[in-house]
Amino acid sequence: MPFKDSGQGLRTASSGFREFKSRMSNKQTPFVMLAVAVVVILIGPFLPPGLRSLVIEIMILCIFAMGYDILLGFTDQCSLGQSIFFGTGAYGVVLAISYLNANLWLALIIAVIASIVLAFLTGLIAVRLSEAYFVIITAIFFSIFYLLSLSMSWLTGGDDGISITVPSLSLGFTELSLYNPLVNYYFAFFFLIISYLILTRVVGSPLGKVFISIRENSERTKFLGYNVFRYKLIAFILAGLFAGLSGALYAIRLRYGSADFFSFDWSVLPIVWVLIGGTGTLIGPCIGVVIMSLFQYYVSAWWAQYLIIVGVLIIVILRVSPKGIVGYIRSRKGKVKEKG
Amino acid sequence: MPSIDVSTLLFLLSDGLLWGFTIALVALGLSLIFGVMGIVNMAHGDIYMVGAVLALYVLEWTGNFWLSIIIVPVVIGLLCVPTERFVLRPFEGRPAVTMIATVGIAYIIQQVVLATFGGMHEKMPNPWPVVINLFDVGYSGYRVLIAVISVVIIIGLWFFLYKTSYGILIRASIQDKEMANAMGINSNKIAMATFALGGALAAIGGVLAAPVTQVFYLMGADVILLCFIIVIVGGLGSLKGTLIAALMFCTLQGGMSIILTPVEAKVAIFVIMILVLLFRPRGMFAK
Amino acid sequence: MKLLETAGLTKNFGGLVAVDEVNFAVEKGELKGIIGPNGAGKTTFFNLITGSLKPTRGKVSLNGEDISGLPPHLISRKGISRTFQITNIFPEMTVYESVWAGVNSRAKQPWNPFIHAGAATDISRKTKEICQMVGLDSKMGELSTNLSHGDQRVLEIAIALSTEPILLLLDEPTQGVSPKEIDTMISVVRKVSEVAAVVLIEHNMDIVLELSDNITVLENGRTVTEGSPSEISANREVQKIFLGIE
Repeated sequence: MPFKDSGQGLRTASSGFREFKSRMSNKQTPFVMLAVAVVVILIGPFLPPGLRSLVIEIMILCIFAMGYDILLGFTDQCSLGQSIFFGTGAYGVVLAISYLNANLWLALIIAVIASIVLAFLTGLIAVRLSEAYFVIITAIFFSIFYLLSLSMSWLTGGDDGISITVPSLSLGFTELSLYNPLVNYYFAFFFLIISYLILTRVVGSPLGKVFISIRENSERTKFLGYNVFRYKLIAFILAGLFAGLSGALYAIRLRYGSADFFSFDWSVLPIVWVLIGGTGTLIGPCIGVVIMSLFQYYVSAWWAQYLIIVGVLIIVILRVSPKGIVGYIRSRKGKVKEKG
Repeated sequence: MPSIDVSTLLFLLSDGLLWGFTIALVALGLSLIFGVMGIVNMAHGDIYMVGAVLALYVLEWTGNFWLSIIIVPVVIGLLCVPTERFVLRPFEGRPAVTMIATVGIAYIIQQVVLATFGGMHEKMPNPWPVVINLFDVGYSGYRVLIAVISVVIIIGLWFFLYKTSYGILIRASIQDKEMANAMGINSNKIAMATFALGGALAAIGGVLAAPVTQVFYLMGADVILLCFIIVIVGGLGSLKGTLIAALMFCTLQGGMSIILTPVEAKVAIFVIMILVLLFRPRGMFAK
Repeated sequence: MKLLETAGLTKNFGGLVAVDEVNFAVEKGELKGIIGPNGAGKTTFFNLITGSLKPTRGKVSLNGEDISGLPPHLISRKGISRTFQITNIFPEMTVYESVWAGVNSRAKQPWNPFIHAGAATDISRKTKEICQMVGLDSKMGELSTNLSHGDQRVLEIAIALSTEPILLLLDEPTQGVSPKEIDTMISVVRKVSEVAAVVLIEHNMDIVLELSDNITVLENGRTVTEGSPSEISANREVQKIFLGIE
């Protein structure tokens, strides 16, 4: 098709920023994020140890949640098998350190690569299936991996797990011990920022836009000439990668890995995070992590069956706000704007 | 290589086959719900578990195990009705969301049972301690009995689905929802009845299994894995496929236990499922 | 060589023959109409060409190349694009994004994660030109779901056009469009036919007769007759088929 020069030089040459719906953010978001980042950096040394440990946990799980958002929020694939990659990441680190004597960086790389490979192989089978089949097959994958992690205790330590001595973190010019909670704090923060930057990049790139097309109408996306299967697989691998990274960091923080990393809770929690906070927003799932972690931290202390509330919460959130908290705030904002 | 004794193998195969009829009940419930509602009930294994737990309570209160075969499925079926109406129906037309809601139900069931029944493994006394000679090995008569009961229930289910008008409506909804709606079938009522029926089938499975397994608040996990694999291979929503796959896999699992540990047998079945999926992505018997 | 040619194209659904031995051809630059009563197999015929359905028998070829049985995304890449009878758009995406998605599919690296999708490139320029061509340029930032039905039908065409097809299959573009917006739609179809060959399924006989170079009449999955608009409107058999329908 011939494209004539339309004469409106400036307008046609300008980019399409404005016409892209701002799903992630508005203009202030980068500043808000920067402010949050600065606050997190500054308050690190002043936090009481219990709370600091909680913040470290939250930062690590945010990585997991944002990765899962790519899968559920951007390509509409509801996987119940994410604990596979969380556990693989954890054991990648634990086994690399205890058997191969790997340093921290190598252990992390091994963990992430293991998750990617596993996500690729499971994705090859699961992603081509339709919605209900996808959910059920990922649930089957989860069950098998959990079963194996429990029974192959010679490798995994089963329920008791394997403890490790975390090697010190070498930065070239200096060596830092992760047994210092403050180092651990900034270590987790570093990976959170890196993951956030990578994922915002992905979401804003052509790849991210194709993901959204698939979520909005996967059939039509096929008719545009996209190999939808391949894109869904990429999203599946991305989610697996960040789940693996998160699991690896989590194992480093706890200095051990056990079959519990493969348990069903770690498959369900990502869904809860993303649904609470809002799908397709990256920030929303992080808010979901904060809420759920605070909730778990404070409620589980006085009520052993707090998981009942998790169950009720899942159903209530699905009912009340299908787009999550971020979606709710945004719709409120829209209403205010209309009035003003 | 240990030598494989033919009669031992036959014994294990028949043991698996007999167990297959009970598993088929549970899997048929799952498949029926999928066929009509388009969702996989993630709480199905936990309903099975509740069936077993309630059987224990019925035995405790009445001293009669056999009563629970009637009472428990009715109770569960009645509980399923409001669950479908108030928890699941609002999500109608959004299968993935509905399935996540059933995960919520699963959590609630597990934790309520944990809070009331406790987290220990309970063993139920064998209600029919008769020993039968099967391939020169003494075999529990109760295991044969539950297979017979399961077969009777399956035949009853078939009769209900193929001979009664209500069953035919359910099958029509499985075949073609839009057509069923166009014919004036109340799809809400059908969904509600199917969810109750599916739940009742899982509960009967739990009741029958209670004396031969350990009753435990997480006992659903094992069975649900097997049922998932069965319905995937049989084809979601295909009742014949589900029945055949259930019998096939349980027999296979029994046979494999001669050389494999239970976990290895599960992995082997999992591998078979993957192979089937690679060639038939919608299962062996799907249309 | 014909642009598109089907030879003995047949589709059975169980016992029902939806498309029966259809031989059909489109020349370069042609606008070809397909008419026929409901259930004549028109949409099934499109589904066979675009890969949504696999033919039971017969062959589809594009520029002499056999494309029958290819999956939809590969057929799209060969240069066939289509619209849908029931509006099939991306609800929560803006007009710009929807068209952009199609243009981007022809980029060298449509999956590139390292650049910003909003960057000023050939893709954004082409996207805007397509929006201008169909007259949606003032609504580029609007969500598709918020458009009027008529605009959604135009967007449907814009999305199909965004992959730069050599052959465009339009499935009842005026379906449900208000009389006021029908003229816009006719002019859009005209403009589109200048850049690609078009096959048009349409219920409104006036529109088909006005727009088409040639018309094929289908009934019960079979070709009844073919000819120019004047031949078709004079044909007794066609009049019989449409008596009581139109």
